[in-house]
Amino acid sequence: MTLKERFRLSRFYRGEKATDKPVILNHRRIFILPTHRGFNFAILIALILLIAFVYNNNLAYLLAFLLASIFFISILHSYKSLAGLILEKGQSKRVFAGEAVGFKVNISNPLDIERYNLQITLQDSKGLTIKAQNKACMTLYSSTQRRGWHTAGTVTISSTYPLGLFRAWSPVQFNFKELVYPKPSKLELPFPENSSSETLQGFRQKGADDFYGLREYQSSDSIKQIHWKTFAKGQGVFSKVYSGESSTEIWLNYGHTPGHDTEQRLSQLCRWVLDAESIGVRYGFSLPGFELSPDNSLSHTKKCLEALALF
Amino acid sequence: MNIVHNKNNLIFLLCSIGLIVLPHFRNLPAAISAFFYLLLGWRFIGIWKQNWLPGKPGIFLLSVCGLALLYSQYQGMLGRDAGTRLFIAALALKLFEIRSERDLYLITYLAFIVAASQFLYEQSLLMAAYILFVCCVLLATLISINSNKPQTGAALKTAFTIIVQALPMAVVLFILFPRIEAPRWMLFNERHQAKSGLSDSMEPGSITSLGMSDELVFRVKFTGALPPPAQRYWRGPVLSRTDGKHWTQAANMEFRQLDKPVFKGLSYQYTLLMEPQDKKWVFALDMPAEYSLPLSRNANYQLITSAYPDKRVEYKITSYTQYNTGYITHAEYEDATQLPGKPSGKIKQLVSQLHGFDGTPDIFIKNLLNHFRTQNFHYTLTPPLMEEDPIESFLFKTRYGFCSHYAAAFVYLMRTAHIPARVVTGYQGGELNKIGGFLEIRQADAHAWAEVWLKNRGWTRVDSTAAVAPERVERNINMERFVSGNAFSLAPTSNTAQEVFNWLKQARQLWGNVDYNWQRWVINYDNRNQARFLSSLGIPDIKTMIYWMIVITALLTLVLSWFLLHQKQKNTDRALRIYNRFCKKISNRGLLRGSGEGAKDFAERIKIKFPESKGDIDQITEIFIKLHYGKNATSDDLKALSKYVALFKM
Repeated sequence: MTLKERFRLSRFYRGEKATDKPVILNHRRIFILPTHRGFNFAILIALILLIAFVYNNNLAYLLAFLLASIFFISILHSYKSLAGLILEKGQSKRVFAGEAVGFKVNISNPLDIERYNLQITLQDSKGLTIKAQNKACMTLYSSTQRRGWHTAGTVTISSTYPLGLFRAWSPVQFNFKELVYPKPSKLELPFPENSSSETLQGFRQKGADDFYGLREYQSSDSIKQIHWKTFAKGQGVFSKVYSGESSTEIWLNYGHTPGHDTEQRLSQLCRWVLDAESIGVRYGFSLPGFELSPDNSLSHTKKCLEALALF
Repeated sequence: MNIVHNKNNLIFLLCSIGLIVLPHFRNLPAAISAFFYLLLGWRFIGIWKQNWLPGKPGIFLLSVCGLALLYSQYQGMLGRDAGTRLFIAALALKLFEIRSERDLYLITYLAFIVAASQFLYEQSLLMAAYILFVCCVLLATLISINSNKPQTGAALKTAFTIIVQALPMAVVLFILFPRIEAPRWMLFNERHQAKSGLSDSMEPGSITSLGMSDELVFRVKFTGALPPPAQRYWRGPVLSRTDGKHWTQAANMEFRQLDKPVFKGLSYQYTLLMEPQDKKWVFALDMPAEYSLPLSRNANYQLITSAYPDKRVEYKITSYTQYNTGYITHAEYEDATQLPGKPSGKIKQLVSQLHGFDGTPDIFIKNLLNHFRTQNFHYTLTPPLMEEDPIESFLFKTRYGFCSHYAAAFVYLMRTAHIPARVVTGYQGGELNKIGGFLEIRQADAHAWAEVWLKNRGWTRVDSTAAVAPERVERNINMERFVSGNAFSLAPTSNTAQEVFNWLKQARQLWGNVDYNWQRWVINYDNRNQARFLSSLGIPDIKTMIYWMIVITALLTLVLSWFLLHQKQKNTDRALRIYNRFCKKISNRGLLRGSGEGAKDFAERIKIKFPESKGDIDQITEIFIKLHYGKNATSDDLKALSKYVALFKM
């Protein structure tokens, strides 16, 4: 860390540069300031000193000095409540816009002391206690509004243990970054009519998928198509086949998607992708400058959603 | 909100508050104590029965009750008593208004103030220890609030640790923090409870039982040799006017202010630690020669302080037991020969029989003392009542009395023979604390003796009680503590009783010594003592004092930080420590062990990168796993691990 970085004020609340590596909390990262209660405690000490002074009472002096020393020493204890903890970035899952992304943080306590009442904050605070030489995993949620890459700010871990007179905190920035898919539209529109003649009849959203029969599971089949009843009976893995499925393909095309603006269209496309995936229809996908031939699989869906998120 | 409704936290808080107010029982009016403990008990029940707690109107009503109670016990707005009562009543009422963590803190802080107010009433070592203990509980309350899963034992332990760590720094601050005496206007005048002690008058005939208070009056530590027990007379008020029953001080006390008696023999230098008194008398060894302000000597050679006597004060005094006061003034002569009327024939007859009218004063004194000794006079603490003509009744009828009777009778007879005489009151003897080497003088050591003026010798002490009960004066024990009823026996009782008695006496002396040093060094450490003590350490002024305070505090902080924070590396498991060394060697080559990575997985990972040291890695990992998780590991394994890790190279 250069000298300039060392004196940057933002270290106090934003922490050091974002990282993927585990972060050990040490004197460079832990900050301590008195709380309100701490300031009031100082006033209390002053008051007892005044009593001691007016009555010239040595034991009252001693009490005031004892409290002052306790006040002072609790700075060290505050430091100790965080020092040595190791924070590590964990996994996170993609979400749709409007949902909250859960970033996982692993906190390990390699030392022989118990850590009481740690507060870990991203957007909301969560309390936890970690036993000596133990670990905890916390999922911190960060709400999203828009599709695209979502980055979370600083994770702050803090503690007022033991006396609540001082708050020790350490802001840690991780490379928390997660893709947010567009919010699926709430409108129940039918799939778009395709230029391809085979699918002219179109699909109804629901109920159209009349059950046709079972067939041997193929690796491209969606997990939702598996007929779990037969699987549970030990009769093998079968996929449900719906009438007309094998013969239909649809195209989800940006150009044919209704909507006032880009976001509405993307949102509608997102909805269609999810629906098509869930009913197991093979669908092709095209955005300006991006095209995927018809398929129905999880990875296909993922690619489509990624394209939507980053469009 | 679970912080506020957490039962453990509340129980902790209520207990510590109950403890903190407990010693105030003696200082508070019963009504306020009752009010406090009633509310505390109510709040205690409220922990389990939430709906028994009063609502807003209830709290208002209670507050009105509290105010009315305070008003009924009205003691002024400011000052110790009023302040303490106000804080305690506020504390009790605040208990019903715990809504947030803030309220818990406010209550704790109030409790600390009540703890401080306790010291305004009593400053004994025991009280200090008690308050320290309660502070520990209060801190534990704060710890309990700040840890989301409160455990009583752990919280108390942490609180204790913090206090132990804070104490050295507190002591340094105590010694070096500059003491400045508060300006006069800031001092509140407190009404003091009248202390039982020597009074400025004496009426022996109207007393049937002398109080034997064990209360300490003062302590004396001699720098050199101690005076012999028979010389240990601590001079108090001198009573020379009498109406036959009642003895009082003479009105004229101004003369002889500049008088310088002639001192002879050994000088005794001592520090006298006076307990708080309600009179301005300082009981110096008869007779004080050198003393400094605020002391002064009045016409009767008694030391008087000009400061408030309600504080414990230490004086440095030099006394001589041999002295000659020289001449007698006219006023003194008049006072010292004054009689309430003509002495009766019976008394005159006794005086002439003892050669009071025809012999020298010396002969008369000798005869009189001999008369007391031989004519069946008795020393008792429970004399019969002598309302009418107390002196005559004592001399011719009852012949039972204590020091005042003997002194009064002696002086009366002297005056009848026209010899100037007067009664001196004060203390006699004192118990030697062998451990601390100082004398403890208690109320029970109060004494009265006579003083006669003799030509060429000035005022001379004659202790008429010594004639009857020489043990009272010469033995280094307190008669009163052993006298029961009319007769006293000094015969040794059984051996075990004696042993137990000796043991008790030793324990008492040990405690007395601890207490004396506590009073001298802690309670009495004021600006003068501080200046004296620090300059003896080479710290002359406030500036250096503050420098030293900062330096020592910083040093202590360093030491403490090292102790507190250094244990980072301390892993209980030695094997793990050695293994960590191994991990460090590998991390130097760019491979870091993940925080949750098992030793085996880690070994697999490094073997891929460093296939050439496969054997060593396997060996180290195997021994480590055996030591860390296995059951039959030996210390040889530990040594082997240490060796392998030390030899490990890549």
